[in-house]
Amino acid sequence: MIVNKPSIIIYVNEPDEDLLREICAGIEEEGVLYQVSAHEGDLDTLAFDAAKESMLGSGIGMTGQQIAMQMHRVPKGHNVFELNRPFFWQCRYIGANSARAIKKMPFKQIYTENGEPV
Amino acid sequence: MRLIAGVDIGNSTTEVCIGGVEENGKFHFLSSASRMTTGTKGTLPNVHGIKAALLEALEKIHLPLNALDLVRLNEAAPVIGDTAMETITETIITESSMIGHNPSTPAGAGHAVGELLFLENIWKGKPGVPYIIVASNKFSYEDAAERLNQKLSELAIKGVILQADEAVLVENRLNRNVPIIDEVRHIQKVPEGKIAAIEVALPGTTIRMLSNPYGIATLLKLNADETRSVTPIAKSLVGKRSAVVIKTPHGDVRENILPAGEITFHGDKELKINIDAGADKIMETLAECGNIRNIDGQYNTNVGNMLDRITTSMADVSKAENQDIRITDILAVDTLAPVEISGSLAGETCMEKAVGIAAMVKTQQLPMRQIAEKLEADLQVRAVVAGVEAVMASLGAMTTPGTKLPLAILDMGGGSTDAAVLEPNGQVRTTHQAGAGELVSMLIQTELGLSARVTAEQIKKYPMGKIESLFHMRLENGAMQFFEDSIDPRYYGHVVLLAPDEMLKIEEDIPMERILEVRREAKRKVFVRNAIRALKTVAPDHDLTKIPNVVLVGGSAEDFEIPEMLMEALAEYRIVCGRGNIRGIEGPRNAVATGLLLSYLGNA
Repeated sequence: MIVNKPSIIIYVNEPDEDLLREICAGIEEEGVLYQVSAHEGDLDTLAFDAAKESMLGSGIGMTGQQIAMQMHRVPKGHNVFELNRPFFWQCRYIGANSARAIKKMPFKQIYTENGEPV
Repeated sequence: MRLIAGVDIGNSTTEVCIGGVEENGKFHFLSSASRMTTGTKGTLPNVHGIKAALLEALEKIHLPLNALDLVRLNEAAPVIGDTAMETITETIITESSMIGHNPSTPAGAGHAVGELLFLENIWKGKPGVPYIIVASNKFSYEDAAERLNQKLSELAIKGVILQADEAVLVENRLNRNVPIIDEVRHIQKVPEGKIAAIEVALPGTTIRMLSNPYGIATLLKLNADETRSVTPIAKSLVGKRSAVVIKTPHGDVRENILPAGEITFHGDKELKINIDAGADKIMETLAECGNIRNIDGQYNTNVGNMLDRITTSMADVSKAENQDIRITDILAVDTLAPVEISGSLAGETCMEKAVGIAAMVKTQQLPMRQIAEKLEADLQVRAVVAGVEAVMASLGAMTTPGTKLPLAILDMGGGSTDAAVLEPNGQVRTTHQAGAGELVSMLIQTELGLSARVTAEQIKKYPMGKIESLFHMRLENGAMQFFEDSIDPRYYGHVVLLAPDEMLKIEEDIPMERILEVRREAKRKVFVRNAIRALKTVAPDHDLTKIPNVVLVGGSAEDFEIPEMLMEALAEYRIVCGRGNIRGIEGPRNAVATGLLLSYLGNA
């Protein structure tokens, strides 16, 4: 029997390692486990499959400097959050939000007008 | 056919009703509308709102403004409601000596005491001295953890305070577990070298040591006098998940009792009462005074200034002399208001005792005649002032199916709660009481610490739910509602208000249960107390059991829970009480405007 740990799944395709580290830090600070693995596919597919695979129903897809967060049963392509060439703090927040999706807490605001966290 | 309009100008809404009289004297109601009152009730700017409401009502029956033959305005009672709020205690912490807040993710658990030492000065630390390390956000979590690990075996590091939101990240990299508090915004204000106590609560609990004066005394080794002076700190830390208290040698923490002042009631008797005595005592004293001529507050005290402000602002709008304006009723309500503590480090607030007051201001007479003239000039339609508000409301309320005389109405509007009893012989007794919908909004706003009054008003009006997933929400009564399509993620995890066509998000992070409690309590404090007070005044022999039925009218009677609350409260007097249904279709609105049309028929 294969037992998956309850964790957030992150599927990556040649990711920017610095940004990925920040995403993971965001999840860790919220106290949730995560697993990173390399996969083929475009951003929407990675995020959708990751969310489907996650026992907690929360996943992140990443290619290069593009990041998308998805939740289980949300249609493919309708990413909950999507970032392109983000700031570090945005990566931290998207990680935190993927954890908050499980903890049923309000999301942190990751899109701001001045590019600064609120 | 002659077209007649009835217009009722209230504190917050202007309502109109349009009816037609045929040649043979037969009468039909045709249309109605309601709009926000523009300007203070009974002043010229009202004309604007009246016009808008008339246009809206005529639009519904596809007629132009000049089709009207007559506009009948109510002789609005010359009373205007206003509200004010004043805190009566204040905690002042002049030397920053506490941080108590709820970062969402502190780390570790337990409490610790030690000397404050900045991370950049960690090399200065001496072995054997207990330390609490303070790290600003210029250190990354990896850097901070590494520096701490290097010294962990050598120094007695008991706890950590971080500026960034990284407590868990640092803890996961430390070789030994210590309590860590994060998100301390003004970390540069933390005084290095002082002794501090920190505490992080176990999951699911709140702090125990630092929210207890003796707990603080134990940790910081305080004597009896010092313990007394930290009581306000302990009080303001109750219910927190984590806290820091710093011992400053001359730390000046005190709870000020502001000179709240006395209220003087000039009535059949002259009585004084200090605001400190609380709302119940104030209201008892008010009742003892009998008929009130005027109410004022002690000069240069909080309550004095508060009542002054109300009369001056009323004087401004009604252009009357200050002496002509008298406060004839107040409703005082005890409440708690969150106030930011002066000298705080992370924007902490403290619940201070406060009193909310709604006042009823009586002027000589409202310039209704002028409004009618202005309306006549603007619309080219004859406008007359006809009928006293309470009588008209009673007449309108009589159109509710299932009522009979003697009939009591309770008109719960925005600014005032009015009651009237209509006897079978046509005699009417009326009263106007301070305190209604607007006071409820104010109480909700202050007790929940909301930044906008609009949010408080929406909380008052709509039921709530919490968005628990992108596909469902839990409603305030525990029921679940599911959605076909996923909800906008911005709503996720938030409490939302269910307005008719949209969901309104509450920005503040307040649990739904708390909002529910505050909302219900505010409504009960204002409306139940006021309803009984008002009905007692107008009831035959001041005996509530002599009123057989009460019809609730006015904007606040439309509320989804106030009528039920009143029904419960009045049930013990065996009164039939319920929300009115004017003309069987309008609900509790439009009573006065309808009454104005009916009285026209009566006179014709």
